[in-house]
Amino acid sequence: MEYREKHRLSTSGIPWTLVILRKVQRYFFLGLVYLLLIDIAFAFLLPVIYMASSSLMTVQDFLDPGVYWIPRAVYWDNIILAYQSMNYLVGLKNSATIVLFATLGQIISCSLAGYGFARFRFPGRDFLFMLVLFTFIVPPQTIIVPLFILYRQLGWIDTFMPFTVPAFLAHGLRGSLLVLIFRQFFKRQPYELEEAAYIDGCSPLRTYAQIMLPLARPALLVVFLFSLVWHWNDYYEPMMYLMKPQNFTVPLRLQILQQGLQEITGGAAGEIFNEPLVMAACFLVVIPPLVLYLFAQRFFVESIDRTGLVD
Amino acid sequence: MRLTLRQRQSVNGFLFILPWLIGFLVFVARPFAHSIRLAFSKVDMMAGFKLSYVGLANFNEAFFIDERFVPILVTVIQRNLVDVPIILTFALFTAFLVHQKIRGVTIFRAIFFLPVVIASGLVVERLFQQQVGSIEAVVGLDVPTLVYMYLPAQFADIVIDVMTRLTLILWRSGIQILLFIAGFQGISGTLYEAARIDGATDWEIFWKITLPMLSPIIIVNTIYTIVDGFTDIFNPMVNFLRTVAFSGSFRLGYAAALGWIYFILIFILIGAVFISSRKWVYYGGEREG
Repeated sequence: MEYREKHRLSTSGIPWTLVILRKVQRYFFLGLVYLLLIDIAFAFLLPVIYMASSSLMTVQDFLDPGVYWIPRAVYWDNIILAYQSMNYLVGLKNSATIVLFATLGQIISCSLAGYGFARFRFPGRDFLFMLVLFTFIVPPQTIIVPLFILYRQLGWIDTFMPFTVPAFLAHGLRGSLLVLIFRQFFKRQPYELEEAAYIDGCSPLRTYAQIMLPLARPALLVVFLFSLVWHWNDYYEPMMYLMKPQNFTVPLRLQILQQGLQEITGGAAGEIFNEPLVMAACFLVVIPPLVLYLFAQRFFVESIDRTGLVD
Repeated sequence: MRLTLRQRQSVNGFLFILPWLIGFLVFVARPFAHSIRLAFSKVDMMAGFKLSYVGLANFNEAFFIDERFVPILVTVIQRNLVDVPIILTFALFTAFLVHQKIRGVTIFRAIFFLPVVIASGLVVERLFQQQVGSIEAVVGLDVPTLVYMYLPAQFADIVIDVMTRLTLILWRSGIQILLFIAGFQGISGTLYEAARIDGATDWEIFWKITLPMLSPIIIVNTIYTIVDGFTDIFNPMVNFLRTVAFSGSFRLGYAAALGWIYFILIFILIGAVFISSRKWVYYGGEREG
């Protein structure tokens, strides 16, 4: 004890000065990390906050340079007006139908394909898997014209078939990426469970459905959220294949609303006067996936760790 | 008929991927082949999409007659070349921060993934039209004049272009951050321990262990970012192709030719990334069989 005090050593035998230096270093590093994290989070949140706050402002508040972020009084009329003029409920019904079927289809078919590629050997497998990757890099713009012609001949224009049928066949929006995620996940699982099932006389399809799929919950959640969010936000394809206004999805309705306002006010000069209304409409587009994410977020962040997205 | 174990495995495997294979043939392979034919033809929409062969006329028009196509193409390539490194560096850096074992990090993770959830093309486009995303909104300085003062004009244009789109660019890095986080978690702790015992500094460990171990993910992210950049709706080319094909004139053959030029370009770019990756990507342990 005396020796330690005499030589100013800590209990672990390291000089006190060094211990303090390390502590300072550690806190400095920690402070820096938090500072950067908050900064980046700010850049991500700013547009969302802007959208939320300006959709609750009157035009006077919005144009008043004295009003920052917080409106003088909460003004719900923008949201109500946007809701009515977008015919939101009809749009929500259309969007929900497309998203529901497309997501379900992709989950089923992409997990099947991912499992097939991960767990079975068959001639041409590696070549076919190359084709999966190839599909990913073909831009939709290259094949959109023939697809349009195909759907027209099939009579699928102005129906939801162009979104749901490819989804059930492991294509649709970024289907190849989802196949890849499932393949990576199944590849990491141990073989013992399946072998036990086969020895007990279980068919491959049943093994997949009753043993492997329940195990794949993290991957399923990730794919579910990706697929859902991508389908909800997509507006390139709906714009191509939907012509009648009653079939329009929510993002399409936002587009129509914007165009309508532009016509009324006559282009860019008038735009700023509608800004709160347009922001309210944007907010309505964003709300459903946002609410869902708020609920799923905890499981989602955990799932990412367990999916083994990259291997 | 009795099958050997091996044959049975093949059949089962085939059955599992069958839906995908049908989808591929109907929704990718056939349209793909069809679009080649379209690219060399003129399409008469009124006569039930009748094709008449026109040779290279569509391609000739794209490069030598249409004065809109080439400038847009140049812009798109230029933007991508600039954006990809920015997105990758930013995503890597952010993932590194979020990977630290500190309190409250899950909240930040949830926030950083927000762009993927609400990056509804239109909404974001609208938001960034209002300049919320530009550097002035964040820093509060008149940066453009400063940049033009100190940089040669040509270079300054690119810098300004990046700055006005900065948050937009950062908003495109949600998935990449996610993949990098997963990548960080995949690096075994024993490597770090061994390096520390050998007296490596944090700096050395990052360059000699973390980065090489992450290199497979870097390549995945690079390809993802390129593809994403070429197909997202802020891309002027995407809009241009739609206008050519579907508004007013319905020039389907010409649009298919443009689509093909576009595809070949992406293919070359990604091919180049792939080939160069053989030099710097490290695949640890055994490769999958």
